[in-house]
This record gives sequence, structure tokens and C-alpha cells, in this order.
Amino acid sequence: MFGLDAPGLAETTKTAPAADEPFLAAFRASAAPMVMTDPRRPDNPIVFANPAFCRLTGYAPEEVLGRNCRFLQGPDTDPAAIARVREAVAAGEPLQVDILNYRKDGRPFWNAMTLTPVRDETGAVRSYFAVLSDVTRTRQAERALAREKDGLAQDLEARNRALQTALDQQTALLHEVDHRVKNNLQVISSLVLLKARRARDAACRDVLRSMADRIGALATVHRLLYALSDVARFDLRDFADEFAAELEAGIDPDRIALAIDVEAVAVPASMAAPLALLVHELSVNAVRHAFPGDRRGRVAITARAEGEGLILEVSDDGIGLPAQSDNPEGFGRDLAGMLVRQLRGSLTFEDLEPGTRARVVLPLVPPLAATAGQAPGQGL
Amino acid sequence: MNAGGLRVLIVEDEVFIALELECLLEEAGHVPVGVATRSGEAIALARDLAPDVALVDIHLADGPTGVAVAQALSAQPGTTVLFTTANAKRVPADFAGAAGIIAKPYSERVIRAALAYVAGRYHGGVPTEPPDGVVMARGPASGTP
Repeated sequence: MFGLDAPGLAETTKTAPAADEPFLAAFRASAAPMVMTDPRRPDNPIVFANPAFCRLTGYAPEEVLGRNCRFLQGPDTDPAAIARVREAVAAGEPLQVDILNYRKDGRPFWNAMTLTPVRDETGAVRSYFAVLSDVTRTRQAERALAREKDGLAQDLEARNRALQTALDQQTALLHEVDHRVKNNLQVISSLVLLKARRARDAACRDVLRSMADRIGALATVHRLLYALSDVARFDLRDFADEFAAELEAGIDPDRIALAIDVEAVAVPASMAAPLALLVHELSVNAVRHAFPGDRRGRVAITARAEGEGLILEVSDDGIGLPAQSDNPEGFGRDLAGMLVRQLRGSLTFEDLEPGTRARVVLPLVPPLAATAGQAPGQGL
Repeated sequence: MNAGGLRVLIVEDEVFIALELECLLEEAGHVPVGVATRSGEAIALARDLAPDVALVDIHLADGPTGVAVAQALSAQPGTTVLFTTANAKRVPADFAGAAGIIAKPYSERVIRAALAYVAGRYHGGVPTEPPDGVVMARGPASGTP
């Protein structure tokens, strides 16, 4: 009842050998929907359809036999898929295709179809044999997955955009703050220097100039800090090079020789300002007070990392600390002591006979990390 | 360059920085010929005064217009432009025609050395090494004789 005189099928061809009977029974019993067409008849009609095909499509056998398979197509069937089937049939080639088909009641289903041309002994195509498979659930799951993936990708993109915007704003803000800090340091330095120029009293002028120098040391720190991409680190050697050039410009090189041997030590940004001031105070003290009158000599500034710490030494071959009577206020030395305390280090003075060596040992750990957020006077 | 040093136009909107710079230039033997705080004023003054050197800040009273000022002033024959800025990142790759950048905060030493270098290279003075603390343009800046 499922096939109508299809040549080669035992049920419809009385002359067919009995050996075909088991195969026909197998096709009819199969749970896989199957259909066979005869291309030698007009419009390649269906000549066999098994019960599974009728269950899937909802058509009775007599409704499909003798008709071309295109009745399975519907409004949303992809024309490209139809074209592929047509081309395969025209060329007599096998085909695997996913195509949207429609049941008798109009409900669509995704059909993963295998189409095979069946040839006789002369090589001519006697029939087309199609096995259908309802893959609607798989397709739906795939589409849901794809939608979810798209959604996640869009989500991720939106988040990336938001993060990038936040980062751009942060960077712009950092540049703005950096610009203002540096500009203000220039203003402060200019103010002090202007006042120094107008001061009639030489001692007053000296005090203002030495304050401008201290501001200059801080200014150098800020210029170097923001010049690098890593704003959290500060290279002590870069600072020492610039500082030495400034110091040298203020002394007579024939009278006092400067020797700088500072390693490239990465210093946490929070320690940069006090450390720079410390180098400034110790060095300026040596240059200013160790060589009274026309005394000649040498000042050496050395620094190196040792373990977790930094060792900074400023030595001179001048008159020695006890003899330095022209520094009654000793402000520079007081400052050095305070800065070393802030940096949680130690400061010792050694008599070199002749001269003095100031030796500072301090830990290279930011105060915040060491004291859990209660360090006073955080430098930067 | 005349015997009195370089004639320098200061383009700077911070009044204390400009005033201190004038004092420093005089002390170093140069002649500050004027101070401009806005871009239009800077271009007009440069046209009238034809300075040897213009020290140009990027952020002026009318906004970040220093780059345009540098472009206009360096196109003027005989004028060498040096940026003095705390925002060197704003300087375009071609330096807008300027000969170099003096990064703020600068020291007196760097200003002196930069002007000595410019005098030597562009204005017939004694040649000196380019100073540290100043980024010089790679190519020949305008103002070259």
C-alpha cells in the first residue's frame, strides 16, 4: 500500500524476485522516513513512501504517491536549498541537505535529507532514494545556543567598551593632575625665586634660593615620575643624573669635584619625594659646608640596592663635621634626620679624617605596604 | 644675534612664571622683548617684534593653543621656537616647527643651557652641546639661517 508499481520493488512488481522481499519489509519497518521517486516518469513522482514518512509528514500514502516531492516545501523554505536538490537530481548526484519542510497541517520541520540516485546495470538512474530525518530540535537548540553566544559576545563587547571608557577617563584625569602638579611646582619655584631676586639682605636671599633648590628637587621627581609609563616606580639613577647636573651648575668645578655612582634602583613612587630631598640635603650640606673659603675637595654620592634595602652614601674630604661652624641653624641636617625617620631608615655620620661620610640605610618598601595605611607624611 | 644676547618672546599665561623667566633671561644676558598670555596676542607680538626665540607654553589663557602659536611663529624667518610645557604629550610628532621642548618644571640651568644651545645653532653664537632636560627636534627646525 505504500508503493505503486515502482519498478524493482517486490510489492508492486509481480515479476520481482522473491529475494527483494526482506529488503522491502525492512524499508517499511524502518523508523527512518524514506521515500523513492521515479525520474523516468513525468515530474519525477513518488513511487514509494514508508509509514515513518507518513507519520513524519502527516500525509496518508495515497496523498503522496504519484506527486513530486515539492509539496513538502513552504513559504520559509530556503530557495537555495531547493536549488541544490534540483541540481543534484539534474546531475544524478547524491546530496545531503538541511531543508525546511512542511507537514500536512502546515507545521514546519527541519529535514536533514540524504538523497541518493539509484542506478541500474547500464548506469542510468532508475530512481531517487531519500532518507529524511527530523532535526527540528537540534536546529532549535543550535539557534538558541548561537543566540546565547551572540548575546554573551555583545555583553562582553559592551563591558569592554565601558572598561575602555573608564580607562580613558582615568588616563585623561592622570594627565590633567600631572600637568597641574608640574605647572604649580613651576609657579611655586618662580614665586620663591622672584622674592629671592628682590630680597636686599644676602642671608634672606640665600635662604630663599635654598628653598627654591629644594622645590627644584621635588620638581625633578615629578617630571621623572610622569615621564615613564609606569607611574608607580621611580629610577634613582635618573634623578641622580639630573640632580648632579643642577648641583654642578651651582659650584666651581675647579674647586669641588663631584663623583656620582648611583645604581639604577627602582624606588616606589611614594618614597620618591622624601628620598630625592634626602639626597639633596646631604649633598648640598657637603658642598656648602665642608669646603669653607677656598678649600678644594671632592664630594661623592653613591647609592646601591642591597637585599630589600637601599644604601646611600654622601662622602666628602672637607673639614669634618665638628669644624663646620658656619652652619649654626643646621636646618639641612635636621631635614635629613626627619626624612630618614619618615623613610624608616637609619643615618650615621662617620669621620673620614679628613672629611665626613653620611651613610643612610633604608628599606625599599613603600610605607603604606609596611605600616598598613597609617604612615604619616606620605611624600607624594 | 646682537651683542645683547637673544631677543626672546615669552608666551606664558602664568604671570609669576613669565615674570621670573624675564628676570632669568636678563640675568643670562638675553633681552625679553614681551610676554603674551593668549595665542592671538603671541602671533601679533611676534610679527611686530620679530624675536630670535619664542618660549611657548602649550596651555595659554585661551586654551591649549600653544601648538598653533608654535606653528605660526616658527614659520616666521629668524624665529626659533622652544616649547616650555608640563604637557609634552600634546606636542605633535613634527614638533609644530619648534626646535625643542623644555619640560616643566624646568630649572634656571636648563633655560640658560637651552638658550645658549639655540644661540649657537641658529643665531651665530658659540656652538654648545644640546642640554639635558631639553628634547630637541630631530630635523632642521625653522629659523635655521
